[in-house]
Amino acid sequence: MSVRIGVDTGGTFTDLVVLDERGLTIHKVRSTPEDPSTAIVQGLSEAAGEIANGEIVHGSTVATNAVLEERGARVALITTAGFEDVLRIGRQTRRALYDFMVTARRTLVPPELTFGLSERVAADGEVLEPIQPDQLDAVIARLRAQNPEAVAVCLLHSYVNASHEEAVAARLSTWQVPVSCSHHVLPEYREFERWSTTVINAYVTPLMARYLASLEAHIGTARLRIMQSNGGSIAAATARSTAVRTILSGPAAGVVGARAVAETAGVSRIISFDMGGTSTDVSLIDQTVAVTTESMIADCPLRLPIIDIHTVGAGGGSIACIDAGGALRVGPRSAGADPGPACYGQGTELTVTDANLLLGRLDPTYFLGGRMVLDVERPRRLAEDLAKRAALTVRALAQGIIRVANANMERAIRVVSVRRGFDPRDFALLAFGGAGGMHACEIAAALEMRTVIVPRYAGVLSALGMLLADVKKDYSRSVLRPADTLCEGELRELFQPLMAQAEKEMAEEGFADASLVVECAVDVRYIGQSYEITVPLVSEYRDEFDRRHARLYGYSNPRRPIEVVNARVLAVGLARKPELPWTSYEVKRRATACRMRDSVFDGRSYQTAIYRHEDLVPGSGGDGPALVASEMATTVIPPGFQFQVDEAGNVIASGRTRRPRRVRKPEDLAAVQVSSAARFSDGRARL
Amino acid sequence: MKFDPVEFEVFKNLFVSIAEEMGVTLCRTAFSPNIKERLDYSCAIYDRNGDTIAQGDHMPVHLGAMPLSVRAAIQKCAMAPGDVVALNDPFEGGTHLPDITLVAPVYLARDRKPAFYVANRAHHSDVGGMSPGSMPLATELFQEGLIIPPVALVRRHQVVADVLQLILSNVRTPDEREGDLTAQIAANRVAELRLREVVTKYGRRKVERYATDVQDYTERIVRKTVAELPDGEYCYEDALDDDGLSDRLVWIRVAIRIDGERAEVDFTGSDPETKGSVNANYAISLSATLYAFRCLVSDDVPYNAGVGRVVRVIAPEGSIVSARRPAAVAGGNVETSQRITDVVLGALARAVPGRVPAASQGTMNNVTLGGTDPRSGRRFAYYETIGGGMGGRNGAAGLSGVHTHMSNTRNTPVEAIEHYLPVRILQYRLRNGSGGGGRYAGGDGIIREYEVQCDTDVTILSDRRRKPPYGACDGQEGAPGRNVLIRSGREEALPSKVQLHLRAHDRLRIETPGGGGYGQGEG
Repeated sequence: MSVRIGVDTGGTFTDLVVLDERGLTIHKVRSTPEDPSTAIVQGLSEAAGEIANGEIVHGSTVATNAVLEERGARVALITTAGFEDVLRIGRQTRRALYDFMVTARRTLVPPELTFGLSERVAADGEVLEPIQPDQLDAVIARLRAQNPEAVAVCLLHSYVNASHEEAVAARLSTWQVPVSCSHHVLPEYREFERWSTTVINAYVTPLMARYLASLEAHIGTARLRIMQSNGGSIAAATARSTAVRTILSGPAAGVVGARAVAETAGVSRIISFDMGGTSTDVSLIDQTVAVTTESMIADCPLRLPIIDIHTVGAGGGSIACIDAGGALRVGPRSAGADPGPACYGQGTELTVTDANLLLGRLDPTYFLGGRMVLDVERPRRLAEDLAKRAALTVRALAQGIIRVANANMERAIRVVSVRRGFDPRDFALLAFGGAGGMHACEIAAALEMRTVIVPRYAGVLSALGMLLADVKKDYSRSVLRPADTLCEGELRELFQPLMAQAEKEMAEEGFADASLVVECAVDVRYIGQSYEITVPLVSEYRDEFDRRHARLYGYSNPRRPIEVVNARVLAVGLARKPELPWTSYEVKRRATACRMRDSVFDGRSYQTAIYRHEDLVPGSGGDGPALVASEMATTVIPPGFQFQVDEAGNVIASGRTRRPRRVRKPEDLAAVQVSSAARFSDGRARL
Repeated sequence: MKFDPVEFEVFKNLFVSIAEEMGVTLCRTAFSPNIKERLDYSCAIYDRNGDTIAQGDHMPVHLGAMPLSVRAAIQKCAMAPGDVVALNDPFEGGTHLPDITLVAPVYLARDRKPAFYVANRAHHSDVGGMSPGSMPLATELFQEGLIIPPVALVRRHQVVADVLQLILSNVRTPDEREGDLTAQIAANRVAELRLREVVTKYGRRKVERYATDVQDYTERIVRKTVAELPDGEYCYEDALDDDGLSDRLVWIRVAIRIDGERAEVDFTGSDPETKGSVNANYAISLSATLYAFRCLVSDDVPYNAGVGRVVRVIAPEGSIVSARRPAAVAGGNVETSQRITDVVLGALARAVPGRVPAASQGTMNNVTLGGTDPRSGRRFAYYETIGGGMGGRNGAAGLSGVHTHMSNTRNTPVEAIEHYLPVRILQYRLRNGSGGGGRYAGGDGIIREYEVQCDTDVTILSDRRRKPPYGACDGQEGAPGRNVLIRSGREEALPSKVQLHLRAHDRLRIETPGGGGYGQGEG
């Protein structure tokens, strides 16, 4: 058995999860931001030894950071003449309505690097104005004079006829510069979004290529795969040309890891809740992880399939203040890592983490496994000031901060569940990240979710997810045809080239037959709508679309004609996965607390037991109030909750349900029915 | 009960999130490009009196005016549980006819009266009348389209078939209208459901109490802001190019009186209502004024009824800022609203010069296209507006190519228009050099050029083609916009407001105004 390793480069630590004949081992080394591969190579040699025949799956923030920190390539853009400003104009909106000082969106291509080319393809693919070769040469000559590091080719309607983009790319190929064509990166209509995605790709590709080359040079013959934002991995060679697909791969891997951990706990429906210092990522998993094609990075739309993660700018470092109207605000300002919460010793403003400390929900002597001692006095002084201004006691203020922060988190969870037509009560809350475990139980209680899972591997969930991720590739093309003009044979024909490409490329990655799954889906909408719903391609895809529309928006209309907008193929190469130990509740014993301390819940002080997560054996558990502290994070078990450690070492907490589960009443159903009776009296909502 | 800053914050966000969720539902299920691509709609929730509790960040021009729709619906229609009232009558709660507002009550338990109302307003791309797109150069309301007084469109969860049929029979694109109205009904349902859930969870007393508290909170903050303005009277005047029928400037004049923490905004002295369709009703003048004051508040305070309690608006009846039935009003909502904003901000700049930017483009550049698509034989009616230059601000140049002040609608992607309509877009770019110079320059306008592929009726409702956007603190004016017809290779300048019949391959080029510059010198 050859070794497989998941490697996640984080801001502070580089995590390695190694799977070999001995099973699963975990290793952490300090990150080396100037060259992330240094830490990786060090970690590999310490953790794994012989990796020559092994496989490394790596999640990299290289592309993400390049965009966020504006360190990407100098990109030149060739576009249809007359449309040079599409990326600057965007959708012609401003992002704040009532703010005179509203700032402009960022664009990744400066005006002097934008080149218009006289050419035109119509919406139906007809060439209205062919490219003049001499004019193209002149444009390329001017472009070369600017010495760009990458070129994006973005022409109108290239999703239906790519010949013009191909001609430009062919002309550029004699010159050693990476070229990203919009029909290649994202063959779908809507120019701003397609071009934006393409430009992001051009912007991050050179950096990614250099990084991967340096990494490959260090790891010898081991096979390198790169994590993508869709939750799957791709070969490093592929990642080099479509680096845009690796943006947001870290959080995506966390969701994949969360799903795997939940599976070992026998739970298939979870909401993953990753609460860090400055932001919180929430994602819903209903057997499979949800994927979206609508996301943004640093003001730029990104329309590739990525795991549907809702991010809110609030976390343990969010700052509390009293605003001009007297309301207690938490965030969006954050103390970040520097200065950090007041209890870290430098901060001058009160944060959520400070509030947890003031309530006794953090053990100041065992923070990060005792590597850091927290300052209790500093936040107390700040809290006294703030409490005075809000006419509250310090205790009420601290509880208030937690409550407001939790309400923000609840809203984020409702966005991924209720707003998508799911009832959060049908899901378990899987919490990780530095602050996730401190808030999970109270948030779950507020949403009437019955189970909270805090994984044993909470600290390396992303690396674990990388190890567990399958190889995934997405393919798509615009169709834009009414469904009733598409017979089954024709539909099959449309998918044929995508399938062939998928099978060919996956074979190159070593997947075929039993290890390869190819899924076809269509983006469908009612004719006239602008937003599509992706449904699996089965013969009754129409019915499935109506069902999903009703779930999402409260109504459907089976008589209204539909349109197929995009054809999508997802190819999955099944990865070899470690067997995580399964849960068994047969052994039950009371855990032994290492210490006691005072903690505040619901305005009352409780004697609270503190446990070390690392010391708890499977099957042991206890009642709240309790704190389960690990080297990475603390789990707060409030009064009324109990917890147990499962075979895998995960903490499973559940509350006494306060009231019986409310069944949806018929009047609720009536409330979401829209029967547009005039034309189709049977157009009832199906739920 | 005493003010609880913690629970208050929870509720404040909760209310806003409900209004935002309505918006998501509406935009994702709507059928016309104007709603689904351009997001020309607004959603809000109201208390038992019809006062705004919270609204989504949608269209500023709608948001100040919608409470009047809710009030009109309450007064004119007895709303039972499961009912939805529709209206667009500008003199009974509406603004201009294409904006159809749907109001629904939220009843709790066995109450006799609604505890809340929910409402959304969407701009429909055709409501009948004398020209496709229903933004004609009319002289009276009756020509502008179907007038819908407050009337029940849904009774007890069932669409009232004959009312719907009456509406659909009066519009050029009935399928699209029906789809959009369904989406609007669904959006109200979502808000109703959410409000019920919140009441189930927290209890109605608490919810109602915080519904009041958020309004008081906003009022407190706006009062503080007004109190910080120096007391005194500040006047300003500016004009629309014309009313589309004559070429006489239409003046709007304002005197803002600040007295402690109260403000009075008096439009006495503005021109009388016009024959052409640039008349604004009171709701629009109120919207534009409240918008200007809302922008002075620095925190991200929820916009609700609290804003209106601090600012009193005086708009003489029969004037351009408070027209009477049956004045034509299509352009009042989109053009005059912008000029009212310019005037109010111009006056406020005299009180606090450093805090108010130079004039933005001051128009929405409304373009409506209609005809029969030769490819399918189907009728089409399409409406869009075009962004322009934002005025320079104290500390930053104005943004280029954006919607400003009373609008924030998106563009329709070129690839979407060309797919769905017999129209080609030949250029869509920034109009370089159109922003006014200054220490902080005005933003540039946009150039958008259309080539129609078949016989097409076009209406342009635009402004700032003659009188340019003003600069601030000695900054220069922005370049006025231009409308140009290109037929057989010859260019012809068009007026600001015009109705045309285009033949296949005629072109229309709209150049939108640049923003005014702020401050002297070069940036």
